[in-house]
Amino acid sequence: MLTTFFTLLVLGLLWGGVYLLMAEGLNLIYGVMKVVNLAHGDFIVLGGLLAFSLFSNYAMTPLVAFPLVALLLFVIGLIVQRGMLERITAAGPEGELRTLLATFGLSYVVSNASFLLWGSQFQSIPFLQGSIQIGPIAVPEGLAASSLIAFGVALLVHAWLTATIMGKSVHATAQSGLGAASAGLNIRKIRALAFALGSAMAGGAGALVITLIPFQTSTGGDLTVQAFTLIALGGLGNYLGAWLAAELLGLTEVFTQYYFGSNAASAVIYVVFIGVLVFRPQGLLGKVGRV
Amino acid sequence: MMFKAFGIGKFTGAVRLATVAAIGALAVATASTGAEAAAPIKIGLSITQTGPYSPPAVFELQGYQLAVMEINKAGGLLQRPIRLVSYDDQGNPSTAVQLYQKLITDDKVDLLVSPYQTDLTSAVAPLVNRAKIVMMCLAANVEAFDGKYPYLVQAMTQTSRYMVPVIDIAAAKGYKTLALLVQNTQFPIQLGEGVEAAAKKKGIKIVFKETYAPNTTDFSALVLKAAATHPDMIVGATYLADSEGIMRAAKAQNINAKMFAFSIGPVEPEFSKGLGPAAEDVFGTTLYFPTLNTKGNQAFVKAFTAKFGRAPDYHAALAYASLKILADAVNKVGSLDQAKIRDALLNTSEGTVAGHFQVTKTGMQIGYSSYALQWQKGKQELVWPQSQETTAPILPHPAW
Repeated sequence: MLTTFFTLLVLGLLWGGVYLLMAEGLNLIYGVMKVVNLAHGDFIVLGGLLAFSLFSNYAMTPLVAFPLVALLLFVIGLIVQRGMLERITAAGPEGELRTLLATFGLSYVVSNASFLLWGSQFQSIPFLQGSIQIGPIAVPEGLAASSLIAFGVALLVHAWLTATIMGKSVHATAQSGLGAASAGLNIRKIRALAFALGSAMAGGAGALVITLIPFQTSTGGDLTVQAFTLIALGGLGNYLGAWLAAELLGLTEVFTQYYFGSNAASAVIYVVFIGVLVFRPQGLLGKVGRV
Repeated sequence: MMFKAFGIGKFTGAVRLATVAAIGALAVATASTGAEAAAPIKIGLSITQTGPYSPPAVFELQGYQLAVMEINKAGGLLQRPIRLVSYDDQGNPSTAVQLYQKLITDDKVDLLVSPYQTDLTSAVAPLVNRAKIVMMCLAANVEAFDGKYPYLVQAMTQTSRYMVPVIDIAAAKGYKTLALLVQNTQFPIQLGEGVEAAAKKKGIKIVFKETYAPNTTDFSALVLKAAATHPDMIVGATYLADSEGIMRAAKAQNINAKMFAFSIGPVEPEFSKGLGPAAEDVFGTTLYFPTLNTKGNQAFVKAFTAKFGRAPDYHAALAYASLKILADAVNKVGSLDQAKIRDALLNTSEGTVAGHFQVTKTGMQIGYSSYALQWQKGKQELVWPQSQETTAPILPHPAW
């Protein structure tokens, strides 16, 4: 009984890490630009499929492919921001809607481009499939690795945003673009950096998660919804909140699946989400009025 | 415009997007004498040529194309060449309905074959039945063949029979208990019911059964819960992604069983590509295998590989077989009288590349069975029935 409970606890926390990994990039982009990148999930899938090709053609493991894929997605993110998003007038009441629609279109471009390159079959990479036995509990290697990287990335981003000049400028732009610009910051450059970095995080996440969940070119939409639910739950743009929300999702899912059945598990997360929106509309750790 | 030439300019956007192909025309040009003067017999279909569901459907289309080519080479049908009139439905049921309407009223096709997938076949069934045109259906679910639509004939193994060979192997090995995981969608549910029925017949007890939502990606708790009942076998009524998810969770949590078996999943090459060593010794089912010792199979594999540059899969084989059976029925009748063709099909009992074709009086398939395969050393091996095996099954599944 107790072993089962602790096994579920470990699994839930680790899956939470995986969900965090897939949401971090979206959170950064939202935090800085107040843009929900609807192509986020498609970037994750693109990253995963790139890693898949590197694995099957060059026997490159996902850990080696991770920085390469992230770099490539960084470049793609930069091109998207410079070539498309910054050319769209974000001012005015319809500003956010316009960028939202643009990223919606982008998601189609990315997923269909992936379809042309990889076809529609589910792909996955066999990597770190074993387990580490800790006492009576078998800890899945792949989940553990992805989670540790997710936590590492979360800490790095947090440190970067709070402790470096560059990061502080990003933070300042997030709080008020106008204020940051009048203080002499180059907000055009900062926004491009944030979007590119967020895209790189999506791509990197994909390279790792494809070892746990098979990706198909049309998987992206689901991943976007999941990542968005998570960052909204945590308080849009809030990093610690996203972490908390991710763990909450992971634990809820694993425990519900075990004790109430798998069908309930896929619904209960959204019940939790609605509950949070009703009682704490700013999200778990979001501040009122910031969003 | 090309679309105008085919007379569909007035149709909706989705249809207009559909690629129009008159395959078989080439084959007609090279057809033997005697078939030249007469107008071709048109066989209509829509099939998913583009989009995420297209890969298996393209196999089906190629199976049809090969059959058409061979029939024309052999002199055609009723001294007339045959021609495939095919459109792309993009996997969309409402597009398929419009296209079948067009095939019947505009193209005035003489015979029909079904679109890919049960959903699309169900969507066009009432329309086709009203037009009283015989349609060979590559649809595994049985609802459309219970007498509701007398002009539909099932040319594919019934869903509930998919996993019977796996249960047979388990029974032969003396396994007694089974944990069943079922994706909560129409096809796997019907498949799961077939597993339960077959297990009951063989005295195998279902000690665990649970359904899960189709978008489930984390199977860790589900597999843990199934393992808590210590089953001899863990069986999944699954598609590809979920079968991988279940195996991944089993390996990562060090969960062992004597046998792991899945419906759809192991039959796809991606199963082994995505799981690597975790795919080893896992069982799957298929409706066809290139090594089968069935009527005309060797020649079919050779011709298909030569024409399309890849070995046929079960979709291709069933499509090929269904068109050959249909042509035989038309030949027997000697005319295009639809009611007579249907009756001839209902009385057909014949070997094909995919196995023995036979249907009930309502058109439900009872001849075709299925085959069990196992991943051994990175290769699919046919392991059941014993008369067709390429090698013996490896059991029990080695501990992780």
